[in-house]
Amino acid sequence: MAVPSEQVIKYLQQSHDRIFENNRAWAEEHRKKNPEFFTKLSAGQEPDYLWIGCSDSRIPAEAITGLGPGEMFIHRNIANLVCNTDLNVMSVVNYAVRHLKVKHIVVCGHYGCGGVKAAMTPKDMGLLNPWLRNIRDVYRLHEAELDQITDEEKRYDRLVELNVVEQCRNILKTAAVQQSYAKNDFPIVHGWVFGFQDGLLKDLKINFEEMLKGIQKIYDLSAE
Amino acid sequence: MAPISFTDAIERVVAGNRVYAQQTAEQDPNFFKTLATGQAPEILWIGCADSRIPETTICNCMPGELFVHRNIANTVHGNDLNAASVVEYAVAHLKVKKVVVCGHTKCGGANAALGDADLGETLNTWLHPVRELRRKHKIELEELPDDDARSARVAELNVHQSIEVLKQHPAIKKAIHDRGLSLHGMIYDIGAGHLKLLEEAGGKKSNGLWSADH
Repeated sequence: MAVPSEQVIKYLQQSHDRIFENNRAWAEEHRKKNPEFFTKLSAGQEPDYLWIGCSDSRIPAEAITGLGPGEMFIHRNIANLVCNTDLNVMSVVNYAVRHLKVKHIVVCGHYGCGGVKAAMTPKDMGLLNPWLRNIRDVYRLHEAELDQITDEEKRYDRLVELNVVEQCRNILKTAAVQQSYAKNDFPIVHGWVFGFQDGLLKDLKINFEEMLKGIQKIYDLSAE
Repeated sequence: MAPISFTDAIERVVAGNRVYAQQTAEQDPNFFKTLATGQAPEILWIGCADSRIPETTICNCMPGELFVHRNIANTVHGNDLNAASVVEYAVAHLKVKKVVVCGHTKCGGANAALGDADLGETLNTWLHPVRELRRKHKIELEELPDDDARSARVAELNVHQSIEVLKQHPAIKKAIHDRGLSLHGMIYDIGAGHLKLLEEAGGKKSNGLWSADH
């Protein structure tokens, strides 16, 4: 490989060191404010929320919701997908629902999602094809509605929303969520979208009860 | 358990978001406008889903700086398409310069891997490679004073293993060769709030920060 120049090396070193300097400053600040802060965290976690969001660097879940360490269990992947055969996300849902007993599950998409855009690009994306295929499937499920939207930007925005709705549905298809809800009346599943224009979350106002009933007509796994 | 109000918990987050949006816009009126134009993160962060490690917060970073994948016990499996897709997108398309795998002390996944308790098929399967690590390093782990130390060591070993798996990802192999992408292992100490760099995972000692070329 080409040997990086002195300048590049210096820059990389600085951007790397910055993380550690920032981290030390952050820890020091919290210890000053509350000497017990880290000791308490060390004892365990009892988050009320599970967040399933996009990997996009612009949406740090805790920061944009004003939550502190210990409050939100997090899974982030490309385009906030919940795939039935994906052991990764299924392990997260399982652990959060069955072991941590979270009260809310939030699926949060965002407008201008690169994953959604890439999925709708007529191009071979190699390794990403199978993952992004799930988004094309969302389009196909809602083809009639989406095809009617002539403005391309608005059509993408709507696809982002519909993708969130479908992922909420996928969460409801799991035995963990169905069984916990039958027993405890939680978790409740929410679908939200984050907008970069104003930094605000939009609630898609999913009717959880109705959606669950609809799902269980075919996907009923509530009997243990 | 204290009675919980469902609405309050959600209202709290929604209100928190409003405060965030308002404060951020007050500090920098162009912040969200700039954010909307795109992302160019330098770092891909692969961390644990654990609620106590909000990566952007603990690193005092800004939105836009860390591309993030978080799962149970920050584990990268060779056959996991979820993490592989994140890596592909981050490395081949966004061209991040560094990949960080961050484990942590008091990790529920690492703790569970110290034994063979039945966690259900899904989690048993997901944690299998971590439990295999425990078996492979049995003697070393047994010499440690307590389970806290053992699970911290398992977390470290797991970070190293995830990095080994990442090195085989085609996009990473290519980026290491073509443009000096580097991989870094870290452990976050929950009780102290500190990040620690694991040297042997590709840090300073082994081959420099920018030349994981081997």
